[in-house]
Amino acid sequence: MNFSAIDARVIIAIVLGVLLTGLMVPPLWILILDSLTTTDAMGDITGWTASHFGKLLTDKRAAISLWNSLVFATGSTVLSLLTGGVLAWLVERTNAPLKILAYVVSIISLGTPYVLHVIAWLFLLGKVGPLNDIYRQITGSTGILFNVNSMTGMILIEGFLWSPLVFLLLGSTFRAANADMEEAARMSGASVLDTIRRVTLPLAMPSLLALAMFVFIRAIGGFEVPALVGMPGRIYVLTTDVYESTVSVPPDLGHAAAFSIVMVIVVGILLAFYGRLSKNAERYHSITGKGYRPRPFDLGRGRWIAGGLILFNFVVVLLLPLLTLAWMSFLPFLRAISLAGFASLTTKNYKAVFTAHGYVDLAINSLTVAAAAATVIMAIAALAGWIAGRNGPGGRILDQLATLSLVFPGICLGVAVMEVWLRIPLPIYGTLWIIAIAYVIRFMPFGMRYVYAGVLQLHKELEEAAGVAGGSTLTIMRRIVAPLLTPALVAGWLFIFLIANKELAIAVLLASPKSQVIAVAIFDQWVNGQGGELAAFGLLWTVLMTAIATLFFAATRRGGVDVHGN
Amino acid sequence: MLTVRGLSKIYGDRTDTAAGGVREFSFELPPGTFFTLLGPSGCGKTTTLRCIAGLERPDTGHIAIGDTVLHDSIAGHSVPLNRRGIGMVFQSYAIWPHMTVFENIAFPLRVSKDHRYAREDISRMVADALQTVGLAGYGDRPATRLSGGQQQRVALARAIVHKPRLLLLDEPLSNLDAALREEMRIELRRLQQQIGLTTVYVTHDQSEALAMSDQIAVMELGRVAQMGDPRTIYFRPASEFVASFIGAANLLRGTALAPAAAGASGSVHLDNGVIVTCLFARAATAGQEVTLSLRPESVALSPVSDRPGPGLNSLEGTVTAESFLGGSARYDVVTGGRLLRVSVPSEIAIAIGAAVRLTFPRDAAVVVG
Repeated sequence: MNFSAIDARVIIAIVLGVLLTGLMVPPLWILILDSLTTTDAMGDITGWTASHFGKLLTDKRAAISLWNSLVFATGSTVLSLLTGGVLAWLVERTNAPLKILAYVVSIISLGTPYVLHVIAWLFLLGKVGPLNDIYRQITGSTGILFNVNSMTGMILIEGFLWSPLVFLLLGSTFRAANADMEEAARMSGASVLDTIRRVTLPLAMPSLLALAMFVFIRAIGGFEVPALVGMPGRIYVLTTDVYESTVSVPPDLGHAAAFSIVMVIVVGILLAFYGRLSKNAERYHSITGKGYRPRPFDLGRGRWIAGGLILFNFVVVLLLPLLTLAWMSFLPFLRAISLAGFASLTTKNYKAVFTAHGYVDLAINSLTVAAAAATVIMAIAALAGWIAGRNGPGGRILDQLATLSLVFPGICLGVAVMEVWLRIPLPIYGTLWIIAIAYVIRFMPFGMRYVYAGVLQLHKELEEAAGVAGGSTLTIMRRIVAPLLTPALVAGWLFIFLIANKELAIAVLLASPKSQVIAVAIFDQWVNGQGGELAAFGLLWTVLMTAIATLFFAATRRGGVDVHGN
Repeated sequence: MLTVRGLSKIYGDRTDTAAGGVREFSFELPPGTFFTLLGPSGCGKTTTLRCIAGLERPDTGHIAIGDTVLHDSIAGHSVPLNRRGIGMVFQSYAIWPHMTVFENIAFPLRVSKDHRYAREDISRMVADALQTVGLAGYGDRPATRLSGGQQQRVALARAIVHKPRLLLLDEPLSNLDAALREEMRIELRRLQQQIGLTTVYVTHDQSEALAMSDQIAVMELGRVAQMGDPRTIYFRPASEFVASFIGAANLLRGTALAPAAAGASGSVHLDNGVIVTCLFARAATAGQEVTLSLRPESVALSPVSDRPGPGLNSLEGTVTAESFLGGSARYDVVTGGRLLRVSVPSEIAIAIGAAVRLTFPRDAAVVVG
């Protein structure tokens, strides 16, 4: 390679390094600062203190929040792994019918804001919801069968939220597995159950553990379910504790920051484990034969039971919540599902969505912010991911900088970004910009993963051939790398666009009445009791996002990119 | 003894295409036979193997080992694959990476439903199997730390440890590099003869098939093109497909001068104008257009002035290309406007453009179509 080529990469690396440092480091720094200082009413630092951390150790509430977080994350991880895992195995490795339904669930779930799912579940399992309603009608009692605002309710709902993603990720594990491994066991005389127990499960174990760790990390940082389900029942976890101390008057930012630091450390440790586990998972990747094609297990008559499970999952995880939303959207006010209810059905909520000012603006706001963030991320990640994937100058550092924000649970990042931009004298706070910046920080690691995986799939010789042919670094990037990376870039962009519109935690502290995004608006409306309009709006939004999610699936299928995403 | 009768398994559309599947396949193997299913991809060889294994369910057919019926579609009887007592080596070896070498090989003994093996029996049998495949002392190794050749041997040990009545090998050498493949070919054949195990071997490599087999079935589009011992398959191909798939055959066009019965000698007027005497693998009428197969190494080259020996066919031609291959030399010779490929011992050197005489025995040319 000639000198000018090296120069171009070094310059790009330095520019990216400065940019990423500016984005990623201040939030972490401000959290450390806040957690160790006292401030006056104006937010200026007045002195150093260890009292915020000391309070965590002595405060009983803090201990309870921590314990609740662990129970909540463990429970929902186990539940989602169990449901998603069984489903993935049935769909990818057996001849069960109705497989398409499992994919429909995944695609639509990927497009629906979590908060919308949670609301549907709250109604389904809630006091006036059909579950308790049926119970009362059967038993004649006036009580309830199930209190949704409990730890059980939280675990149940969070578990259902994650199971479509577990299904997708484990599905790719089972798809990539060498079917010969199982057939060899069968030929050795093992029964189907023996084969699953002694070959399938042990082989999938490293991937399962890595995925469990991944879901656990996400559940620890989860906000929607703890906020909507847990808080009304006075059940606090780490994230809702941080949220409460930030929005309370006066805000206790020291406490929030100290708690955030604790979570960042916990997540950091878990992530290190996760890295080890996923490396372990790769060790089991085996040679596959040339004529290899996956052959599904014949379940015999059991396939109809398997089909029933797939159908059941479809109904429970997707159909019931959607129908519930539909029911809510056609009612003038929230009420139980009944014949009397049918009489009062109205389309007034839908009319409101299209006529009342606000909704269309809200949609445009959300789409703009998400699109802007996705574009900026993919532009930075394309360059940084390429340098990292090719072990270019500073590649490792760039990679670590870009993925630094993985340690932030969404709510903690929200606190941190808010604090950073309150201190910077630019009129960013209270506008959509600050949400976009938070999105960029938050989702940068996903962009990196997509590009990195895409670069690894490109044979290095494709670039070297262009270099030998006389192309400069910039020409190679423009003419060779960029076109070949396009599928990965498109998939990454769509993915970030989708999850940015899905998550509540980051934006909830940053949105102001003048700069709202979808998830926050739905959250606020639910808290204010405007169920009907939000259901109508949410359903329309889901349709739009499902269309984009479908695009995303088409892009990943064609591009062959398969990454541990959200 | 393995008996297969009327075995059919057809995928997708039922036309004769390379979509895969096998049609009406029947054969019987005496105990200890090394039987090879040979053919290009999609010819139905792997399907046949998988039907015998029980990994696929045949549409029709009868499969039995000795008196034990494994599958009979008329009686609606089928033994589940894990109760067939067959050993199998997969193309990818399918060595379980989460187990040691010992545990991999012990697996068939541990999961056996017909017989409970005592711990010391298992150790002894696994040690025997390791010994047999030349991996004695490797038992404690993690399966992830094996070379390709060693994985192959472990897979073989696992397939024979429970003393199966039949061994199935699905392209077991295709993932090895060339030198190792050569070595394993000899090794595998030696082992098979030592144990005396009836073996069905699937490959698309004709040299493997010729080197190892007692019997070969050449398959094309789901049907058997020819079945026989390696020499018959090579020297007496029954069809144009077999002739060209096994080795590089010259295919010459011509017309039969007189009617000939299958297996008889007769004369053919080649389209380059020469009349040759040859063997008819199939019957032909006078004037019928036929195709002859002639192996490159069956042809001898000599100066054009040499008189051909008695009982030999003789042609004259001009050398147009030469390639020296070390052990042999290959010449392209044009005779009467037709190209003939000839393989001769490498010490013979002929200049390009030289006029040469080509001679070959009468039974070296076979009418195949």
